[in-house]
Amino acid sequence: MPAPRYRSRTLRRVHVRTPGGTSKIQYRKRNPKVAKCSKCEAKLKGVPRGRPYKMMQMAKTKKRPERPYGGILCSKCLKKLMIDRARKEK
Amino acid sequence: MIEIGRLCLKTAGRDSGGKCVIIDIVDDKYVMIDGETRRRKCNVAHLEPLKEVVKISKGASHEDVKRAFKELGLKVKDTKPKEKKEKPLKQRGKKKKKAEEGKKGKKAAKKEVKKEAKKEPKKADKKAPEKKEKE
Repeated sequence: MPAPRYRSRTLRRVHVRTPGGTSKIQYRKRNPKVAKCSKCEAKLKGVPRGRPYKMMQMAKTKKRPERPYGGILCSKCLKKLMIDRARKEK
Repeated sequence: MIEIGRLCLKTAGRDSGGKCVIIDIVDDKYVMIDGETRRRKCNVAHLEPLKEVVKISKGASHEDVKRAFKELGLKVKDTKPKEKKEKPLKQRGKKKKKAEEGKKGKKAAKKEVKKEAKKEPKKADKKAPEKKEKE
C-alpha cells in the first residue's frame, strides 16, 4: 500500500527501472492540458505541453507556430478572421 | 479574379495578414507574389483577392512593386540577401590537436600545482623534527 499522500491520482505514476534491476514507481506532477484554439476549441498543433520549467528551456519559435495569432487561434479560424477583415474593408 | 497585378491578402502562414500583388502565374494552382509578404511562390487557396488591380508587367521586379505599393500607401517587406561567406575549410585533425594540447597544458599545470603542494608540507614536516632534535 502506498503512503496516504500517494493514494490519490493527482500525481502521475512513472515506472522506472533502477540500476539494481528492480522497477520502482516514481510520482511526478501531471502535464498541463493541451493548448486549444480560443475560438473553436480545437487542439492546437505545434504547441508543446510541458511544465513551466520545460517550456522555459525551449526557444520561443519552438513553442508556437510562426504566424499571426500563432498558439492562440488555429489555422482555420485565422483564415476566416483574415478573410472577414478583408471583406469588411471592401 | 486571379490575374497579374491583382492585389491580394495572404491568409495562411508566416506572412498571413499582409497584402501582396500577383506578379506571375505559375500554373492553375500557384502564383508568384510580392509586396508586404516575402517574394515567393504561393498557393491560390492561400490568397484572398481584393478589389484593386495594380498596373504591373509580368514578372515585375521588386523595385516596380515598391513603386506601385507607394502609390497605394502600403509598405513593402524588404528581404536582405544573405552576404556570401566563404565556408571554413575543413582541416583534418587540427581541432583535436588543439584540444589535446589545451588538455595537456591544463593537466601539466595541475600536476605542477599538486607537486608543489606535496613538496611544501613535506618540507615543513622535515623541518619540524629537525628543530625538535636541535632543542
